[in-house]
Amino acid sequence: MSQQNRIDGGQIDRTHKLSFSFNGKFMTGYQGDTLASALLANGQRLVGRSFKYHRPRGIFTAGSEEPNALVQLRDGAAQEPNTRATTVELFDGLVATSQNHRGSLEHDLMAANDLLSPFLSAGFYYKTFMWPKAFWEKLYEPMIRASAGLGRLSMQEDPDVYDHGYLHCDLLVIGAGPAGLSGALAAARAGLRVILADEDFTPGGRLNAETYEVDGQSGADWAASAVAELAAMDNVRIMTRTTVYGAYDHGIYGVLERCTDHLKDSAGKPRQVLWRLYTQRALLTAGATERSIAFGANDRPGIMMAGAVRTYVNRFGVAPGQKVAVFTNNDDGLRTAEDLKTKGVEITRIIDARNGDTVVNTTGRHGIHTVHLNNNRHIEADCLAVSGGWSPNVHLTCHHRDRPTWNADIAGFVPAGDLPPGMTVAGAANGAMTLAAAIVDAHTKAARIAADLGTSKAPGDPAKASDETFATAPFWHVGESKKRAWVDLQNDVTTKDVKQSHKEGFRSVEHLKRYTTLGMATDQGKTANILGLAIMAEAAGQSIQDTGTTIFRPPYNPVAIGAFAGRARGKDFRPYRLTPSHKWAEENGADFVETGNWLRAQWFKQPGEKGWRDSVDREAAQTRKSVGICDVTTLGKIDIQGSDAATFLNRIYANAFLKLPVGKVRYGLMLREDGICYDDGTTARLAENHFVMTTTTANAVTVFRNMEFARQCLWPDLDVHFISTTDGWAQFAVAGPNSRALLSKVVDDLDLSNEGFPFMACAECTVFGGTPARLFRISFSGEMAFEIAVPARFGDAMIRGLMAAGEEYDAVPYGTEALGVMRIEKGHAAGNELTGQTTAQMLGLGGMVSKKKDSVGSKLSERDGMNQDDDLRLVGFKPVDRSILLTAGAHFLTPGDPADMTHDQGWMTSVAYSPELGHSVGLGYLKRGKERIGEQVRAYSPVRNQDIMVEVCSPHHIDPEGERQRG
Amino acid sequence: MADFTLTAAPILGGIDKAIAGNRILERDDLALVSIATPLGGDGGLAQALKSGWSLDVPDPTRSTTNGDARAIRTSPDQMLLVFPHATPDAEPHVQKMLNGAGYTTDQTDSWVVLEISGPDTMAALERLCPLDLATFDADSTGRTVMEHMGALIVKLGKDDFLLMSASSSAGSFLHAVETSYTYVT
Repeated sequence: MSQQNRIDGGQIDRTHKLSFSFNGKFMTGYQGDTLASALLANGQRLVGRSFKYHRPRGIFTAGSEEPNALVQLRDGAAQEPNTRATTVELFDGLVATSQNHRGSLEHDLMAANDLLSPFLSAGFYYKTFMWPKAFWEKLYEPMIRASAGLGRLSMQEDPDVYDHGYLHCDLLVIGAGPAGLSGALAAARAGLRVILADEDFTPGGRLNAETYEVDGQSGADWAASAVAELAAMDNVRIMTRTTVYGAYDHGIYGVLERCTDHLKDSAGKPRQVLWRLYTQRALLTAGATERSIAFGANDRPGIMMAGAVRTYVNRFGVAPGQKVAVFTNNDDGLRTAEDLKTKGVEITRIIDARNGDTVVNTTGRHGIHTVHLNNNRHIEADCLAVSGGWSPNVHLTCHHRDRPTWNADIAGFVPAGDLPPGMTVAGAANGAMTLAAAIVDAHTKAARIAADLGTSKAPGDPAKASDETFATAPFWHVGESKKRAWVDLQNDVTTKDVKQSHKEGFRSVEHLKRYTTLGMATDQGKTANILGLAIMAEAAGQSIQDTGTTIFRPPYNPVAIGAFAGRARGKDFRPYRLTPSHKWAEENGADFVETGNWLRAQWFKQPGEKGWRDSVDREAAQTRKSVGICDVTTLGKIDIQGSDAATFLNRIYANAFLKLPVGKVRYGLMLREDGICYDDGTTARLAENHFVMTTTTANAVTVFRNMEFARQCLWPDLDVHFISTTDGWAQFAVAGPNSRALLSKVVDDLDLSNEGFPFMACAECTVFGGTPARLFRISFSGEMAFEIAVPARFGDAMIRGLMAAGEEYDAVPYGTEALGVMRIEKGHAAGNELTGQTTAQMLGLGGMVSKKKDSVGSKLSERDGMNQDDDLRLVGFKPVDRSILLTAGAHFLTPGDPADMTHDQGWMTSVAYSPELGHSVGLGYLKRGKERIGEQVRAYSPVRNQDIMVEVCSPHHIDPEGERQRG
Repeated sequence: MADFTLTAAPILGGIDKAIAGNRILERDDLALVSIATPLGGDGGLAQALKSGWSLDVPDPTRSTTNGDARAIRTSPDQMLLVFPHATPDAEPHVQKMLNGAGYTTDQTDSWVVLEISGPDTMAALERLCPLDLATFDADSTGRTVMEHMGALIVKLGKDDFLLMSASSSAGSFLHAVETSYTYVT
């Protein structure tokens, strides 16, 4: 094609020709074109099919409000559906295809739906697919789902990258039309830090589309000079291709910048950046959107908004038709005729509703050919420019739930008083619908904001322009039309649908929206909403103000999910924390598991091992037989110092800590304020005023936060300070009968004998000839065990040193699974047992909650309900048939009782296969558990289809007297 | 095991990377020691810091410097002393100078420290740092979150910052910084 509709003028660069394809047809355009303007230049009026009836549709607007011209952009994995051709900046090699048709665009098989339209009216699917009931899931729903939607996803991973960022300014100016430029100039000249954002790639708004003069030059030239002045100021940032899509709390705005959408290839750079923008003030100068008039067959390609026609003619140098008719209710429509005449385009008729002339129907197969008037005259036209007036873009003013108010003078909604804090609205968005008024309004308001924020520099004078005539008479739809008249082109909602909705009892405008789908989808009804409201108001016999609007919510325009995700995808979904022995573990066959953000070795696979159980059984068995080493760096570590540190700990822990001797470690139990156990661990006293606390991995942050709250808010009179040292120390558990022998080779000059360093001892020491270290004699496995810590920088060397030292004892590294096996064998509670409802009594630790002092949660732990004798108690379980593996989550039942919650006796919390005992062992809560040792109960798991008999036993499956760990 | 000694390894291997004229450098030469103020001991600590290090106690969001040493305010009653020191005895070294005027904890191994510099640094930080860095002058500091990781930022000079974050997630933190530079250059 040869751009047969291209005319003189416009802001396109004719020296820069671009090639693109639409439905496989190759066409050309120019730099500065949108896809829509280039398609029109090439005479392509039919660009898509409508949602429900598959009616032929063309380009309706020239902006982001476009309901019709949705295309699939690009191909392959990068294919993006539902892209508005009116906002797509043309680039060389652009590939676009039409969507929502079966067969070709011109011969859509689904167009048969149009013939069925009497059966497809508003809410048809609520009424139609009622019977037979079984058909809904199998037939109707799949069928409707297959037909729904417009474009298709590529079903491949998005090949582009996205990013997030943060911006700050004194004043955010939203929209760079005449008002926005005027406001930005005033604020910037006054010295404010200004960000000026506009969704278009060329700032100027309607100035680029009209023939107005500003300061004695063309509007477009003035806009360019204003942008140049702003760009030269270092307190201004101009962001084009950028949409401010949401007004959030505390002066935060959601901003989407399309960085490479106008390029063929992103070259690895983010396609879009989602900015979180913090500003003291915002000036909303988002302008206004032209709305249509509902008349018979008002949806044919070639029927478009009058303002859009002027845009194509004046900005893009494209005549949308050779014979143009204008249907209007305001002076703007007349301006269209003047602009077209100036460009030599034939005007076949101006139909002004204010004179009683209306359009009742149009005809033409794939585009308008003839306009039918209410006086039975037929007018030839391949383009009908329609103007039903302008609606201020109040959307962002409503993001904090403000509802706009009706202004009869301009026949549109304007912002009401309850704006998002810090927001001011100026120009057409505020109802100042003429050029000079908009420029002065924004200038005045920006200058006032600057003064409020304490600047002393002068804002300068506003640009001079004339006010064009602006006379409008509300006119929403042509009542005498016999044909279907579209209100919402994107969702195929007609005047009849709106009236029917009212007839069926939907009185609220919100119900109207949900029932008819008016105002939904990508355009959010920007050209349709007011029409729908007006028709609904008319049907209800009430005013538009009383009818009201639906609430506007973010985003103003569609935002790709990829942009919301930013970098957070794949392995970058969240940060990883690695232990100091991670590299060594990788080298030694570790299989890693995510525990929070940590990656921990869960087992170390050896040659010949067929599954994880082989590795875990070997690690646990060898640890109990000789010695095993486990990286326990992930446990939370908190360094606590101060002359009141002991007092503080005594109040934080349920058990006593005041008199813990220096050089000793104590197991501690922490309660929530409500008396429920939430964490346990050990705390070592390194010096009189110096303690080191260990928390569980999962609760490290929670415990620290709770302690900080207590320090700052509960007991600010205590001299105590703490800081996390979790990452600072590489800590290794060394467990097993040979642990002492191994460590004796590692630790410098410390008596590790049972007398010199007994169970629950701790010391600061050195290892390997001088490296500072901390040694604790604590055990989670039930074996004689130590934990040895060195500064994290030595962690990698330390694990290698420990393994080398342990070689003569066949020391094994063990992971979290073997650790879990051994703690279950020993009967230690862990995350599975701390359910958020666990009391100290349940754990068998009721005696630890000291009655001699006050501590967090101790009072509420005394409540009757938490201290009943018949309550759940932690006990051990083993299968009566030792060959059966137990199942965690199984519920206990007394033999003979039915399997229901009335007879529920508790549940299995943790299970493991014990290589030491040669059978499966479990821990669990059982009613009156302690009294039922030796009893047999049913362990019933309908989820895993298991129903077995288990024997109740002590939770300490091995070494119940603790001889090993104390030995 | 007398023949076995432990060798310290920088968390990121002492990375020194150039991206389009910008530099990312792991400052593994720095020691970090937190100093907490004993209840009612503000004057004593200020005096000890002054006499031991010729440093003033920093105000919130600020750091004070003397030569290579820098004190950064980190939280109520707490600051971080940052200074070149190679051996793992930074804490006793500081405590000796303070002589009990403050509670000290070695934080060297808890943090990874990156110095980032170059012409695209502000643009890269826009993608990472929620704070308004245009209001930062030399020695300004801030506690914040970058890519879900807690961080401390210090402005050293024009286009020159120290970033600190948890050492366990140092790899992810470096990746975030590298990605930011890559995206803006």
